[in-house]
Amino acid sequence: MSTVAMPSTRRLVAPRFAMSRELTLVAVTLGLTIVVGLLNHDFVGAQNLRFMLLNSVVLSLVALGQTLVIAMRGIDLSVAPILGLAAMVCGLLAQTHGLSLALALPLALGIGLVLGTVNGLLVATMDIPPIVVTLGTYSLYSGLTFLYSDGTQVDAVPPAFAAFGNGHLLGFLPVPTPVIVLFVVLALCWYVLRHTGFGRAVLAVGNNASAAYAAGLPVTWVRVRVFALSGTLAAFAGLMFLCYTGSATVTAGTGDHIELQSIAVSLIGGTAIAGGRGNLVGTVLGSLFLSVVLTALVFLHVPPIWYSAGEGLMILAAVQAGIGRRGARA
Amino acid sequence: MIQLSTATPNDGTPVRQHAAPQARLGARGIVKQFGPVEVLRGIDLDLRPGRILTLMGENGAGKSTMFRILAGQLQPSGGELTLNGEPLRLASPHAAHAHGIHLVPQEPMLLPELTVAETMFLGRLPMAGAIFRHVDWKDVRRRAQAVLHMLDLDIDIDRCAKTLSIAQLQLVECAKALLHDCRIILFDEPTSPLTSHEVETLFKIMRHLAADGCTLSFISHRTEEVLEISDDIAVLRDGRLVDSAERGGFDRARLLSTMVGRTLRDIPRREASYTTDETVLEVEGLASEPTFRGIGFQLRRGEVLGLAGLVGAGRTEIAETIFGVRRPTGGSVLLAGETVTGKPCHDLIRKGLVYVPEDRARHGAVLSMTIAQNVTSGLLERVRQSAGLLSDADETRLGATAIRDFRVRCAGLDQPLRELSGGNQQKVVFSKWIATGPRVAILDEPTRGVDVGSKEEIYELIEAMARDGMAVLVISSETEELVRLCDRVLSLYEGELVAELSGAGITPAAVSASYLGRSKVEGAA
Amino acid sequence: MSALPRIGAHVAADAPTAKRRRRFLGMGGWEFSLLVLLVIVTTGFGLGVPGFFDDLSGFLGMTGNFLPFGIVALGLSLVIFTGGIDLSVGATASLAAVVAAQLWATLGLNIWVAGLLGLVMGGVLGGINAAVIVFLRIEPLIATLATSFIYTSAAVAVAGDSPPSGFPEAFNNLGSGALGLGSFQVPYQLLLFIPLAVLFWLLVGRSAFGRKLVTVGYNSEAARYSGIRVPRVLAAAYIISGMMAALAGLVLSAYYSAARADMGDVLLLTTIAMVVLGGVSIFGGEGSMGGVIIAVLLLGLLRQGMLIAGFSDMVTSMLTGAILIGSIAVRNIFSTRVGGFGKRLLALVRRPAVAVPDTTRHDAP
Repeated sequence: MSTVAMPSTRRLVAPRFAMSRELTLVAVTLGLTIVVGLLNHDFVGAQNLRFMLLNSVVLSLVALGQTLVIAMRGIDLSVAPILGLAAMVCGLLAQTHGLSLALALPLALGIGLVLGTVNGLLVATMDIPPIVVTLGTYSLYSGLTFLYSDGTQVDAVPPAFAAFGNGHLLGFLPVPTPVIVLFVVLALCWYVLRHTGFGRAVLAVGNNASAAYAAGLPVTWVRVRVFALSGTLAAFAGLMFLCYTGSATVTAGTGDHIELQSIAVSLIGGTAIAGGRGNLVGTVLGSLFLSVVLTALVFLHVPPIWYSAGEGLMILAAVQAGIGRRGARA
Repeated sequence: MIQLSTATPNDGTPVRQHAAPQARLGARGIVKQFGPVEVLRGIDLDLRPGRILTLMGENGAGKSTMFRILAGQLQPSGGELTLNGEPLRLASPHAAHAHGIHLVPQEPMLLPELTVAETMFLGRLPMAGAIFRHVDWKDVRRRAQAVLHMLDLDIDIDRCAKTLSIAQLQLVECAKALLHDCRIILFDEPTSPLTSHEVETLFKIMRHLAADGCTLSFISHRTEEVLEISDDIAVLRDGRLVDSAERGGFDRARLLSTMVGRTLRDIPRREASYTTDETVLEVEGLASEPTFRGIGFQLRRGEVLGLAGLVGAGRTEIAETIFGVRRPTGGSVLLAGETVTGKPCHDLIRKGLVYVPEDRARHGAVLSMTIAQNVTSGLLERVRQSAGLLSDADETRLGATAIRDFRVRCAGLDQPLRELSGGNQQKVVFSKWIATGPRVAILDEPTRGVDVGSKEEIYELIEAMARDGMAVLVISSETEELVRLCDRVLSLYEGELVAELSGAGITPAAVSASYLGRSKVEGAA
Repeated sequence: MSALPRIGAHVAADAPTAKRRRRFLGMGGWEFSLLVLLVIVTTGFGLGVPGFFDDLSGFLGMTGNFLPFGIVALGLSLVIFTGGIDLSVGATASLAAVVAAQLWATLGLNIWVAGLLGLVMGGVLGGINAAVIVFLRIEPLIATLATSFIYTSAAVAVAGDSPPSGFPEAFNNLGSGALGLGSFQVPYQLLLFIPLAVLFWLLVGRSAFGRKLVTVGYNSEAARYSGIRVPRVLAAAYIISGMMAALAGLVLSAYYSAARADMGDVLLLTTIAMVVLGGVSIFGGEGSMGGVIIAVLLLGLLRQGMLIAGFSDMVTSMLTGAILIGSIAVRNIFSTRVGGFGKRLLALVRRPAVAVPDTTRHDAP
């Protein structure tokens, strides 16, 4: 008889666990900010705080989508080229043909939706593991960006774009537009995950796809939609990237390996790679934490070469902490 | 242990939306085959509203399979289902839900990260809102709380499923059935992990549901329970319905004899016993809480010792603990006088103790490799040439001898194992371990999923092993198998040894009685 | 060699089948199709694309462009056989190469000794991967993802502001030189790759370790029950993968006569594609080394042919990605679950009132 690998009398209470992860992140981020601020007052100056906040927005947007995919026990490596493609297409069209921001938005979302859906269809209907699919589409979508740009790049964006990426929506509030946008997107994603049938189905599939199927949930459809959502968010992040940096090159997204960063940030935020639960707020906090850490390294004059290593170590620490709490894995 | 609240179960809590409409579920001539193995051979059943029908039978009789067909999880190979007289086709579990059929599975569905409340509403979350459809969590929590209250369970609905024990999960599964508008509820061995008090609570609910007009069916091994709760009883044996009666028409004796079936004279017994005096395996006070405790026995060279008991009694766990895959919480294991308690399994294999697991596809055989590769996988060290490569000639010799001696039907040594029938796969797994020349072989369900012809061949192989001086421990759920093979039989019930039978005292009735009816029967030496 | 104990009194009338219907060189249907494809691609490009096959030496010389991938693929196959994955191969290649180069440049070590130490470094890096996976019990995907970050950082740090370059001619020959055999020029890379390929082929197909590897990948529980020491097997796989990655890094640095920290970036996608195309299941437990070797040649020559024909690097990358996806898709469609694809598409359109056979692997990321 198969033994069920479950603890018999453990008294872990999960909701409290999730809370402590977010609180830990906030505490550590605040602590780090204060400590570095004591060493260098500019670190806690208004300009730098704004910078650190803004700097994390693009990654947060991508990571939100990645978190949903991971919660469903998948992985999406193609978010980087999707981001790059959206940024490049919108940027070039704006630069050379005067595309308005109002049109750029649905265009970007459309690109992400289509590319993400392709991922989802390949995973769900052809039974190909997500890592293989998204590894393949990574190169395919990168190629598309390369072909479309044809050697050019985006150097300037119309004022509307720049305002979207750097301005203040509500003039009197010192909160930059992208942050507000992120907040709205986070709220939407959180609502979808927590309160819609689709969101609960995503978690059910991530927990136990066979049980979800036996309970009548449309597993294939759920898989396709999650990848579509991830692609859409990545493309939206691409538009945001374009507006924030005012430029786009062929290596936008892929150069920084934003796909790996989005995975890292999701893990740090408390989402388990095995799926079944997704901590969206944790992901955003994790992205902010990463931004603060990287900026701190700059302020402390740590050579940039060690940034990557720091990320790697943080991933290990975050995953290890998760394992330690949950107990031995089967 | 589950904390039970002191409040009495609440009768008449409006947990269900409305009283269940009557549903009479019928099955006519249901046949089910898995490959060459026939699990169900023409079953007729009549589940009537307001009544509880209990299916009884030994392991492998086909009860769970029948339930899964009734719940749309499996498709019958033949026969048909009817609902209130009309033909019923269940293409999927979803379709079964639509007809109000709910199956409480034998092993609870594991969704570790979801809360108890959400698990209970899997796939059927109540939604609210006209424009933006969202989950009605208030309704979820209210109804989940109410139904747990009704079952007298003190489980926090906001806890994650992974923090619950198996017994708690099982009860939550039962609770699920009460939540939705099910009119036909099938309980597949719900009482195995429960204590008698918890069982009483479950029975109260079942009676409540039956009074409400629901159609209930129930699988259990415990004869007292069955006699207490059932309105109708149907006994399955070897995939056939062999007896059925209404309340009052059965007593314990009749139940047992019907389930077991054959009389002693039908089963060929072993001609001779090869037991020597040399003790080769000694187990003392072995325990792995909470699954089993106080296990002690001796196994001698040439002896075939059987371990009988219900699924879940702990037999496989004992074998795994002896083999070193599971950690013991107490006790000791001695192999030829040497203490091997808690040593890892590769050590035990080297010292001459092998374990052939019950789930051969998972544990014993590598289906993607060829026959020859599987046969030699236990002895890779000995097949090596000087260059470090595996000797082709040795592999061929071993493989060919195995195929010949074990009469494996195959197309050749290089055939992938997955292409063989179940019985032949099993033989290859056996040959792999026998080739290592062990002192002790633990065989867990050696003929599970094997066709009748191969079964007999495997029995002969086991006899030959004993004759050759091997000590064999056979774990089996088929009483006939134990009667056929064993010099002695130990019976296990809920983790404890409850009986020992030997020699002529090993009869099908005695074996079954020893662990089914929870009575102690001492056999004559 | 101990004989089988005599089991059973019966001795079957027919003598044991001593003849073995062995597959030629251990190749099955998949490997054979790959071989056919390889022939088609080679002749196709040879005939259709000028410059592809001018003479044998030129043709062989082309292999130097893709054999480093092949070297990595050999080692990576071992890891994938066990059901794991090594995302850090690129970073390992870079780091090992850069370390070796710095040992030569700043410490003045003999280039070959430095190279050897670079190989050792690769093994150590692989060992770290194994340790994280086995002792910290972190999934290979995450573990090697994290270590790839760390190794990349280290590579950049070691490379410094001016990465070492200008290695001795003898060393550069390893990457770009060739040995004259009569009138032919055989690249040293090829002379390195062929024995390695044979070695790995024997290792996986004919050695005890290879059997254990496949068993662990097929089902690590089954391997454990069979007495295989799973942690040791895993450690060996990752260490060898690291060493092969390091070797590839060294070959690359010989080829370019420079060692840069981003040299290995290109390696990952193509090598995974080579392994998967070669028929090794991404879940482990299945596949053959022969298939991988053919896939290396196939993808490599395909890529070279396209480059010579004028396609850009990007396009060939895209093609590699498409082949990666396509090969598994084709395998799945033609596997035992024929028709599964069509049914699943239908499942999207219709709500599951139809009994779609749920044969997806639900537990793989």
